[in-house]
Amino acid sequence: MTYEVKLEAFEGPLDLLLHLINRLEIDIYDIPMAEITHQYLEHLYAMRVLQLDELSEYLVLAATLIEIKSKMLLPVHDGEVLDEENFEYEEDPRDELIARLIEYKKYKEAATNLKSSAEERSDYFTKNPEDLSQFGQVVMKQSDDALNVFDLIGAFQKMLDRKRLKAPLTASITKTEVSVGEKMDQIMSQLTQSGGRCEFEELFTSGDMSDLVVTFLSLLELMKRQDIIVKQHQNFDTLLIVFGEEGNLDDR
Amino acid sequence: MIVDDRLIGSIESLLFMIGDEGLTSKQLAILTETNEVVINMAIEQMIEQFEQQKDRGITIKMYGEAFRLVTKAEFAEDVKKLLENPSQKALSQAALEVLAIIAYKQPVTRVEIDDIRGVKSDGALQTLVAKGFIMEKGRLEGTGRPILYGTTDLFMDRFGITSLQDLPPLIVEEQSVSEETDLFMTKFQEVFTNEEDGGGTTA
Repeated sequence: MTYEVKLEAFEGPLDLLLHLINRLEIDIYDIPMAEITHQYLEHLYAMRVLQLDELSEYLVLAATLIEIKSKMLLPVHDGEVLDEENFEYEEDPRDELIARLIEYKKYKEAATNLKSSAEERSDYFTKNPEDLSQFGQVVMKQSDDALNVFDLIGAFQKMLDRKRLKAPLTASITKTEVSVGEKMDQIMSQLTQSGGRCEFEELFTSGDMSDLVVTFLSLLELMKRQDIIVKQHQNFDTLLIVFGEEGNLDDR
Repeated sequence: MIVDDRLIGSIESLLFMIGDEGLTSKQLAILTETNEVVINMAIEQMIEQFEQQKDRGITIKMYGEAFRLVTKAEFAEDVKKLLENPSQKALSQAALEVLAIIAYKQPVTRVEIDDIRGVKSDGALQTLVAKGFIMEKGRLEGTGRPILYGTTDLFMDRFGITSLQDLPPLIVEEQSVSEETDLFMTKFQEVFTNEEDGGGTTA
């Protein structure tokens, strides 16, 4: 029995790391590297089936986590000469990661704010500008700056929005697909209704190509199962379809 | 100073006709042959009146630079009854994150956005450009001259933002653990000030 785990969607390695920090209820300023690295790698392992495009980026952070973890294991010897760059690292290898996490967290929250702000905005309805052309030439709005391609995109987007509002309501009608199994049942019941026999052409009433193909496939399947027998008295004569047992009877 | 009734009526009718395009105070000043100061005062007075009058369904909102006549939020449910399918396609979380970074850090390059998010943002950037929420604001003078992105007026309108300065400040929520540390710190501080006070009385 397979056990399926539904993973939350993450917006990248930092998002995943933040999620783990929240879940483990640990201080963002004092991350237990061993624990978080272990958890992170476990998640990554579970995510490998998703074949994410960004998997490489997740792996980069995994490598960073392991690097920090190993740096923290290294003993710092007093009086050891360190070049400046290394020295900064030696203070706390986690600092850079923490700074990145906090920076990302800020914008993640700002994104949530933007979303609610947009929702709030959507409660205030405006209307399209009135079409005044019937009263005469409309004064063009003056623009100080030269227009560029992005103004064009903006205008296009606006036009699309308006088009969408103006467009008549559409309803899409989908074909009901009939499976071979269903068609087989239909043919059998049609045979029963017509007294156990019918002509080949009678079964192909609808002109739809896919329907014709399905009907034909069903006939072949029924013949294979010997539920029906198809008979022809002479060349180019109409094909006659009869129940399998009845066919047997006729043959006798 | 009391604003002329005629000017208020004039602004209201202009905003009614222009709809969601909106008019800036500068444009209104030209159209009404007044100046921006008078316009801003008039609009302020109009908003106050609209908000006070509970029997009015409309009010004025400023998004970006432009004033727009809008229906009040409290009647949103009523207006939605006119719509067949009121649900709007919301932006993805990725797009929202990219948009937030651009809104706060603009002008900003794609690489800077990628660095903050720790993940590539090409797709989200394309979506945002196509939706007209962000645009190229020039190029960085440096290697490769990367595109600098910024937000558009449409972004201000759709996200209900008056001006970029009005964006809520970026805050990091303090975690529960750091709250504990903070608690300790304030306690420590209290003891410290008490000691100081004590020291003050004995001396």
